[in-house]
Amino acid sequence: MTASTSSIASVMAGPAGHRGWRARLAAWRVPLSILALCLLPWLLPSNALAVNVLVYGLLAVGYNLLFGYTGLLSFGHAAFFGAGAYVTGIAIGRFGVPWFAALLLGVAAGAALAFVIGLLSIRTRGIYFSMVTLALSQLVYYTALQASSWTGGENGLRGFTVAKLDILGWSIDFLDPIKKYYVLMVFAAAALWLVSRILNSPFGAVIEAIRENETRARACGYDVERTKLIAFTLSGLICALAGTLFALHLAIVPLDILHYQTSGMIVMMTLLGGAGSFFGPFVGALAFLLMEDVVSLWTSHWQIVVGTVFILFVLFLPKGIWGTLIAWRADR
Amino acid sequence: MDAELIAMQLFSGVALGAIMIMVALGLSIIFGMLGVVNFAHGALFMVGAYAGLWIASLTGSFWWGLLIAPLAVGALGMLIERVLIRPLYKRSVDDPLLLTFGLGYVLVEAVRILFGSDGIPFPTPPQLAGVADLGIGFFPIYRLFVVGVVALTLLLLWLGLEKTKFGLIVRAGAKDPQIMRVLGVDIATVWLLVFGLGVALTALGGVLAAPMRNVNPEMGSLVLAEAFVVTVIGGMGSLVGAVVAGLLVGVAISMTALFAPEMATIVMFALMALVLLVRPQGLFGKPTRA
Amino acid sequence: MNAPLLSVESISRRFGGFIALEGVTAAFEANKVTAIIGPNGAGKSTFFNVLSGVLAPSAGSIRFKGRDITGTPQHRFAHLGIARSYQITNIFPELSVHENVRVAAQAFRARYDIWRNRAVMTELDDRADAALAAVGLGGRRDGTAKFLAHGQQRALEIAIALVADPELLLLDEPTAGMGPEETKEMVALLERLAAERTILLVEHKMKMILGLSDRILVLHHGRLIADGSPQHIQTDPEVRRVYLGQNDGYA
Repeated sequence: MTASTSSIASVMAGPAGHRGWRARLAAWRVPLSILALCLLPWLLPSNALAVNVLVYGLLAVGYNLLFGYTGLLSFGHAAFFGAGAYVTGIAIGRFGVPWFAALLLGVAAGAALAFVIGLLSIRTRGIYFSMVTLALSQLVYYTALQASSWTGGENGLRGFTVAKLDILGWSIDFLDPIKKYYVLMVFAAAALWLVSRILNSPFGAVIEAIRENETRARACGYDVERTKLIAFTLSGLICALAGTLFALHLAIVPLDILHYQTSGMIVMMTLLGGAGSFFGPFVGALAFLLMEDVVSLWTSHWQIVVGTVFILFVLFLPKGIWGTLIAWRADR
Repeated sequence: MDAELIAMQLFSGVALGAIMIMVALGLSIIFGMLGVVNFAHGALFMVGAYAGLWIASLTGSFWWGLLIAPLAVGALGMLIERVLIRPLYKRSVDDPLLLTFGLGYVLVEAVRILFGSDGIPFPTPPQLAGVADLGIGFFPIYRLFVVGVVALTLLLLWLGLEKTKFGLIVRAGAKDPQIMRVLGVDIATVWLLVFGLGVALTALGGVLAAPMRNVNPEMGSLVLAEAFVVTVIGGMGSLVGAVVAGLLVGVAISMTALFAPEMATIVMFALMALVLLVRPQGLFGKPTRA
Repeated sequence: MNAPLLSVESISRRFGGFIALEGVTAAFEANKVTAIIGPNGAGKSTFFNVLSGVLAPSAGSIRFKGRDITGTPQHRFAHLGIARSYQITNIFPELSVHENVRVAAQAFRARYDIWRNRAVMTELDDRADAALAAVGLGGRRDGTAKFLAHGQQRALEIAIALVADPELLLLDEPTAGMGPEETKEMVALLERLAAERTILLVEHKMKMILGLSDRILVLHHGRLIADGSPQHIQTDPEVRRVYLGQNDGYA
């Protein structure tokens, strides 16, 4: 697998030594990430960009759990991102569900969808998996397109603006971009903590073993298919959370977020940053969105630049920005 | 429901399936030989349609477009294999997949720059316009033509694989790449040609489809998903599977369009899900359990 | 004679029209070393894959400790007490040497636990270290597995199987691709293991097999053509015919 860069979690298992700085970095990865996220709105040129990095970064983190750590190249994660967004939007707009319950519903729906798609796609082996996940997520896309009375079809889902958040008697003005950013960040931070916890758990060791050598992992006594299905569902769950945050942020769900081009964008972000590393996906999302931001000042055809950069990365820097930095630092 | 309408719809499903066969066959040949899933396959279909359009408008003749576009795009395919994909053979199977995905992204944007983002109508060539009465109903001549061209291509492909030395090498190599080394065949050249052939087939599909569909830069994305569905249903690497599954999917779509139009885009995915449940290796695929 | 640890009853395995294994019946006692030999294509690998659950037999049954385990999914075999190594080195290349073995040990403690921190499961670290020490890799525990020398990777492979504390150890050509020096070390390791475990191994190196095994099975064209002590096998006319006829220098 491409993603078999030596990962932070595996290094964790060893004691301190010449790899001590990496173990320390890993131990502090959640606080460091949260610190970086806190500073983000003040470092980036626009607040909108900061929210995008937050949401897409979280999306890539969820995806990385599957691609980077379990070694499964899914091209269908747009479905879970979209499911989270649509279900949250519909729950608020159509049923008047409180925002927090809508968020939970969105996450649950995305995880359930991931379970079903995982059940079908994990039965297939190797290269089939990428094709089947892509096709099944397109099924979700066309279903949403057809069910326009629920989803708004091609026009996207609208009409569920959340103006105020009520938390334990507090009322937060959700139209204030900075306040909104920090509310969304709390959820992203919680998800990062969860992912870090999963990576440190016994289960985290199993998925890496499967990425490294599926045959061996099976011979060791692991039910590979079941483990993959759990990883797939957890990954879908995190991506669905990113989707609900996206919906709360924009108050619109465009149909495009279900398209496999979105899945491809997630793959690109993860690989640009560095699959199989904790910080990689956020670095990748930042790099991708910055690139989009800067290049689109010059030309509306920014995708040709992003696509070319991606091709160059696959050819020459398959470990991504962060993975390459870590490897370079480790060799010195 | 009247029988004539069903017959017409059935036939239009065959025409639709014929295009899918071209795309899926190219995908399957490349995979069977090189072990590469070409995610730029849909984009190259689209490039084929644009190339056909462009050549037809330069020469004033659809026929030149039909002839030259697949060859030109096939040559582009060989260039892609030589420059971008060959360095990745020693790496994981995911790497060519990722690279071709990025390439598809670039191709779509390049076409937008050259031809604009809007769709371009591609008129049916005048010689092939109109309908023909076949006794059981009236059929669009162009679709009959498409089915004919695809059938001819399949026949040539079959003859090429069964009767020529190159075909022998390809068949042997798809089963066991080791054999080619033993025989002293230059694998690099064979792979180059096979990739070119696979791309030329999808480009031919693109030119043929152009008068039936709106030609736009995004047309390849549905085609890629269709090709995956057909390949999964038929069985990866199986050429017979690609043909049977292509027809099956084409007919399933057109029949659904007749009875439940809102389900037409969804039915092929449902079909694929069913095949995955019952026979994960596809209808004509071999179980891959080691 | 004790009740056998493992027995197979007329097992066959077909791949389409090809019969890789036909009607093999054998029983294996505990604490013995049995070697399986035969010319290339004799069905040794298929036999091993059936014994370790990778392939289900097309016909026949397998019993382990008196229980019928035919058709049990492969990942259950490790939990029954059957561990194997592979002919081609089969490790977790990017993980540390220690983690390779630790994750194998973990299969018996926690497989789906996403909540605890695995660092607290220190007894797994100890078991992994003990297994590494047993195969002589204690000094390399923190290195990345893919950077080990070939012979060390083969030893790591055995440590991965060993950490499960299996009652039955299936070793598929443990000395494949090794030079004389590495082979000597591996034989010494196998002799130590043989003292306390039941071992089945596939091997090509005749001299090594004769010294190590209590018993030898000979497969030819998917059939069991001889079964007996090393002395018996060496003089068996059928075996001599098969090997000399092949003329590939094994005998």
